[in-house]
Amino acid sequence: MSVLFIALPIALLLGAAGMIACVICIRGGQYDDLETPAVRMLIDDRDVRKDR
Amino acid sequence: MSTEPASQTYRLDDGPTIAVDTQCPVSVELPCVHCGLPTRVAAQSDPSTVFCCNGCRGAYELIHGWGLSDYYALRDQLSGGAGQTAVSERSRYEVFDQNEFLADSAPRLQSDGLLVSDLALHGLHCGACAWLIENAAARIDGWRLARVKMSDHTIRIVFDPQQLRLSEIARVLDRLGYQLSPLTKELDDHFAIENRKLLIQIAVAGFCAANAMWIAIALYAGEASGVAEEHRTFLRVMGTGLGLLAVGLPGRTFFRGAIASLRTRTPHMDLPVALGLSVGSVVGLIHAVTGYGDIYFDSLAVLVFLLLIGRWIQFRQQHRAARAVDLLLRITPRHASRILDDGGTQLVLADHLQPGESIRVASGESLPADGCIIAGESTIDRSLLTGESEPIHVAVGDTVSAGTVNVTRSLDVCVQAAGSASRIGRVMQAVETAAAQKTPIVQLADRIGGVFVVVVTLLAGVAFAFWARTDWQLAASHATSLLIVACPCALALATPLAIAVSLGRAARRKILIRDGTSLQQLARSGMVWFDKTGTLTEGRSRVVRVIGQRDALRMAAIVERSVCHPIADAIIASAPTEGTSSDNVAPTEVFSGGVVGWCEGEQLTIGNLRFMRLQAIDVADALSQAADELTQDGFTAIVIARGPTAVTVLGISDPLRPGASEAIAKVKASGWRVGILSGDHPDVVRRIAKQVGVDNSQAFGGLTPEEKLAIVSNGDGCFHRNADTSEGTSARRGSVRPQVMIGDGANDAAALAAADVGIAVRGGAEVSLQAAPIYVASGKLTSIVELIDGARRTARLIHTTFAVSLGYNVIAVALAMAGKISPLAAAILMPLSSVSVLSLTLASRSFRRFDGSEI
Repeated sequence: MSVLFIALPIALLLGAAGMIACVICIRGGQYDDLETPAVRMLIDDRDVRKDR
Repeated sequence: MSTEPASQTYRLDDGPTIAVDTQCPVSVELPCVHCGLPTRVAAQSDPSTVFCCNGCRGAYELIHGWGLSDYYALRDQLSGGAGQTAVSERSRYEVFDQNEFLADSAPRLQSDGLLVSDLALHGLHCGACAWLIENAAARIDGWRLARVKMSDHTIRIVFDPQQLRLSEIARVLDRLGYQLSPLTKELDDHFAIENRKLLIQIAVAGFCAANAMWIAIALYAGEASGVAEEHRTFLRVMGTGLGLLAVGLPGRTFFRGAIASLRTRTPHMDLPVALGLSVGSVVGLIHAVTGYGDIYFDSLAVLVFLLLIGRWIQFRQQHRAARAVDLLLRITPRHASRILDDGGTQLVLADHLQPGESIRVASGESLPADGCIIAGESTIDRSLLTGESEPIHVAVGDTVSAGTVNVTRSLDVCVQAAGSASRIGRVMQAVETAAAQKTPIVQLADRIGGVFVVVVTLLAGVAFAFWARTDWQLAASHATSLLIVACPCALALATPLAIAVSLGRAARRKILIRDGTSLQQLARSGMVWFDKTGTLTEGRSRVVRVIGQRDALRMAAIVERSVCHPIADAIIASAPTEGTSSDNVAPTEVFSGGVVGWCEGEQLTIGNLRFMRLQAIDVADALSQAADELTQDGFTAIVIARGPTAVTVLGISDPLRPGASEAIAKVKASGWRVGILSGDHPDVVRRIAKQVGVDNSQAFGGLTPEEKLAIVSNGDGCFHRNADTSEGTSARRGSVRPQVMIGDGANDAAALAAADVGIAVRGGAEVSLQAAPIYVASGKLTSIVELIDGARRTARLIHTTFAVSLGYNVIAVALAMAGKISPLAAAILMPLSSVSVLSLTLASRSFRRFDGSEI
C-alpha cells in the first residue's frame, strides 16, 4: 500500500478545511465590505479617554 | 428666525477666524478649508482660515477640537472635498429618540446594557469619512462604537443610554456633514446575499481547481515516465471527483444562464461555456469509469474558477452604486413640520404627509411636498427642478413643488401631493420607466458566444463525419475533444477584465463609472447634450460688467448684506472688500424686483428697470439703453440708484466654467455632435452656446425636466418647440446614437437616467451614481475628454483580446479536427490564452490625462 493513498486524502482534507473556514468567513460577512477596513487600519490606536 | 438664514447664506461674516484685510481692496478666490468650495476673500487671507459658511467653520472647529486634523490630509489623499455641510434645526434630531420614527433601526438592548442601532448614513464620500466618524465616536463619552460600512452606506452605533441619546449622536454627525436616517426595509440585502453567494462559489471552485491541477500534473508526469496502474486509477478517481464537484456546485450558474438564454432566445456567453462543461463532464466521467481515454476535469475546474472571478468582477462594478439611498429622498427633505391645530408645529416624516395637511417651511429649507401657499410670501429657488438660475417670487395662492428651496421667508403650505405623487416623484417614476424600457445592449462577447456555439457544433459535426469513415469511436473522441478545447474561457474573461481594469484607471482619474456598458457605448460617436446651469457655467451669479459709477457697487454690497438672494450674493462677492465691515446700516427693505436700503446717509435703490420705474427713479437714457443691451446679450441687468437718480448698471450672469469651451472643442473634434439642454431662458442659453461654440440649432432653452427627458430618451426629432426641423442637422439628429447627457446629478436626474449614457459632473457621488452611470468627481469638464478617449481605448483593448483568444481557439479547434489534440496540449493552450488576455489587459493604457501623459 503506497503512501499516496493516505497522503492525498489528507491533503484534500486539509484543503477542504481551509475552504470551509473561508466559506464561514464569507457567510459571517467578513467580505461584505472591502473598502472600509483598508482605511480603518489608519486609525491610531492611541488610548482615548473612555471608561471601560 | 429671520436672522439665521442670513448667517448661512452670507459668506465672510465678521467671524474671529477670518482675516479680512481692510487695507487691501484686491480679493482672491481660495478654497474653503473644509469643503473646498471656492470662496472670495481678501488677498492677504491665510489660506488655512478660509471658510465658505458657518456650517463649514463649525465642522472644522469640531474636527480640530478633537485633534483629528489628519482627516484633511487623509481626505485630500483619497478623493475630492467633503460635501456641503448640512445645517439643520436642533429640534430635528429629537425624533431619533422615538422608536416609531426609527422603525427597523430602533436601538436594541445588548446584554451589557448598551444599545445598538443600525442606521443609513448619508454624505459619505471616501475612506476618510469613515475614519473621521469612527474616530469621532472614540472621543465622545458614552458613544462606545461606530462601524461605518462604505459598501452600503450604513453605520452601526453602539452607545450607552445612561450617558448619551441617539439624537445627540445624530446632531454631532450632522455637524460633521453626515445625516442619519432610519434604514429602509429592503436595505440592499440582495446585493449582500448575491455577493456572498458568488464569493462562496469562487472559494469552492478555487479549491477544486487547485487540487485538480496538481493531481493532473501527477497524471501527466505518470504518462511521461510511467506510473503504477493502481496509482493512476486512484489519481483519476480523485481528479474526477474534484472536477465533478466544481462543475456540479459552483458551475451550476453557467447551466442556469445557458437555459435562460435558450428560453429567451438571446445569445449569451454562458451557452458555449455550458456546452463545453457538459460535454467535458459526461465524456470525462465515462472515461474515468471505463478507465480508458482522457479525463478533462483539471481544465474544467480551472475554467469554472476563472469564469466565476470574471463574473464577480462584473457583478461588483454593476452594483457599486446600487445603494439603499433613494434618489427621491435625497432631493426632498425627509422631515416636515406639520402645523397643529393649536398653531404649533410637529416634526413628521415627509412620507407620512397627507393632502390637505398644512406644513411650515422655514427659509433655507427645501419643500417636502407639492402644495399651495396659504400664508407668507417668499422667493423659491427652482433650480433643482428646472435649472432656472434665478429664484421666482411666490405669494399666497401660488403652487410650489417638492424639491424646490424656499429662499427668503417662512411659508405655510397646504399639501396637495407628497412622495411619489408629487411632481418630482412623477418625474422619478418616469425615470424608472425610461430606464426599464431601455433596450438592453447585447454585449459583443454574448453575440460572439451565440455564433460560437453554432460554429463549434457544426465543426464538431464535420469532424465526426470525417473521422467516422475510418473509425466510429475515434470520431466520437475527436468531436468531443473539439467541443471541450473550444470552450471559450479567455473570450468570456476578456470583456469583464478589460472593463474592470479601465474602471479602476478611470477612478484614479476621478471618474467613477457604475457599469461597463456605458463605457462601451461611449466608444462610438453620437450626440452629447450638455446641461447649462452648473455644468457649462458655474451655477452661481457674478457681476461681469459694471457700467457707470464703480463706487456704487461697494455701497450696494453693504445694502445687500442682509438680503438673501443670488443677485445679492453676486453683488457682495464682486464688490471691493474695503469698508464692508461698516455695520451701522439701517435695515434693508426687500420688494419684488429690488431692494431699498441706506448706506452712508444715502438712500440706495437696487433692482431691475421695472422696479426703478415703480420707485420713480430717474434713469438716464444712456443707462437704460445699456441695461437693454445687457438684457439682449443674455445678462441680468441690475440698476443701482443713489437717491433719486440711477448711477450704475450691473450686468450679472453665470460665468462659464474653466475649460468648458476647450472640452467642447475636443469632444467635437473626436466626432461627437454637441448640444445644450437647459431650463434657463433661451436668450441666456443662446449666449452660452455662442461662447462655447455650439450650433444655435442644437441649443435649447426653457425646457421643463419632462421635455429634457423626452429629448434624450427619444433621440429623435419629436421635439420641435425651438428646433427648426427643416434644417438638415436637426433632422439627422434622430438617428444619432448613443445619446449622452452631461449634467447635474440632482437636477437633471431624469434626463441623466433616460439617456443612453448619463454623465454627472456635479452633486454628491451617491445621488449622481443613482441617476447616472458615470460620475466625474473631479468636476472638471476636461475629464469628459479623458473619458471618451479612455472608452475608445477600452473598446480597442476588448477587440484585441477577443482576437487573441479567438486565435487560440482556432488553433485548438484545428488541432482537434486533425485529431492531433492531446489533453496535455489542451491543458497548456487553455491557460495560455487566459494568461495572454490577462497580460494584454494589464499592459494596456486605457486612460490618459487630458494633456496626453500616461497615468
